[in-house]
Amino acid sequence: HRRLPAVIPTPPVSASPFPNPKSQYCCLSRNFSAALTPLLPVQLPSRMETHLWYVVPDEVKSAPLLSKYMELLPQSERDHVLGFRGDQLQKSALLARTLVRTTIARYQVDGHLDPRSLRFKRNIHGKPEVEWETKDGFCPPPLQFNISHTSSLVACGVTMNSLIGIDVEEKRRRTKNNILAFAKRYFTAHEVEHLNAIPDSELQQQEFIKLWTLKEAYVKALGKGFSSSPFNTFTIRVNTAAQQASSGIAVETLDSPQNLTNNWQFALLELMGSHYVAICLERQETGGAGKAFPIKLTARKTIPSVEDELVSGTNAVVTIGGSVTQF
Amino acid sequence: MAAASASSFTSLKSRPAPGLATIAAVKSGAPLSFSFRRPVPAVSRLRISCAAKPETVEKVAKIVKKQLALPAETPVTGDSKFAALGADSLDTVEIVMGLEEEFHISVEEDSAQSIATVQDAADLIEELVQKK
Repeated sequence: HRRLPAVIPTPPVSASPFPNPKSQYCCLSRNFSAALTPLLPVQLPSRMETHLWYVVPDEVKSAPLLSKYMELLPQSERDHVLGFRGDQLQKSALLARTLVRTTIARYQVDGHLDPRSLRFKRNIHGKPEVEWETKDGFCPPPLQFNISHTSSLVACGVTMNSLIGIDVEEKRRRTKNNILAFAKRYFTAHEVEHLNAIPDSELQQQEFIKLWTLKEAYVKALGKGFSSSPFNTFTIRVNTAAQQASSGIAVETLDSPQNLTNNWQFALLELMGSHYVAICLERQETGGAGKAFPIKLTARKTIPSVEDELVSGTNAVVTIGGSVTQF
Repeated sequence: MAAASASSFTSLKSRPAPGLATIAAVKSGAPLSFSFRRPVPAVSRLRISCAAKPETVEKVAKIVKKQLALPAETPVTGDSKFAALGADSLDTVEIVMGLEEEFHISVEEDSAQSIATVQDAADLIEELVQKK
């Protein structure tokens, strides 16, 4: 995999804790006594691309760095982060806000890179969106994003124009309740059948988690709130046809069962062998006979303001469902 | 998953912020739902009902702690927000399922959406139990 520095190291200004000039550079990228180094810009995704960015909280250990991240947030977001009980939860909440702010800032949409200056709002149904400044002659770009996080992974998906929903979950997440009892209560009959047909309990558990993340991603992509699409009103169909390299995934709403809803495409990824990432995208264009183009995905692991690593096409990101081309 | 080493990550709580309010205080209107899990429409928060009995709150707290694997001595009160305790959407649904079993009620998905705190859950439970 290719490792790209996200920042160009600059020497610390004024009084340095390292009097010897040579040693000023020894831990340069980790010297956060100065403000966070400027973000490196990134090109916006093309209309057909999806960008996936993720942070592994366990790899972000520097307390000074985390303090700097806090400083990027407005007071209301800091309060929100601090409202979580315990370091672990606060950390992933902080990293989620940091990831979304720094990532969007790096696309340099309005010509400057300040993650602090981004404002967010919610649409009428509660989905977070960027509130672009209304300046003369400035046409806000159709940038779409969605975040998801667990304590062990924080992820952000970005597209130009395509509505997007993403959901992440640990592969080995266990439900406290019996899976089939849970599915009977909250999923559709077809999904219960699909789970019931899996004899191995470990595989059944994993399939459940996959279904859960796909359903969450769909509702988040729709952006209309969970109450508009309760989980038992739509079925995620996973086709494991032998002739397909990876399974096709489609959504079918119960009120029009014969009409496989063609507006939405799905990708299911296994990240670092430890997490499932479900992505749901609004279909932009179709190929012949209503067939969708594969999702063009670029995945980057990042530590905001420190480093990026392009991981698409490596075994850190394995496509396990849907039609995906990784770049 | 390896836990972050205690020495390398100091609690962010040690950074005092002026006017720091607990999430519990932010009840008016819908708080900005960053992870877009369960947006809370402002209207549904104005439920006119008596507060639930302390025993109900206690039972809810117990179910929440069990679902989230919190130590028994964790302070969980009516004001405690599920999300702040670490409940994600799957946890929340499992908690609701646990409440349904414990209290022999059926919670509609709509109502489940509006549960943000332990008190919300307790109030809803008593409402549903009374209706039976």
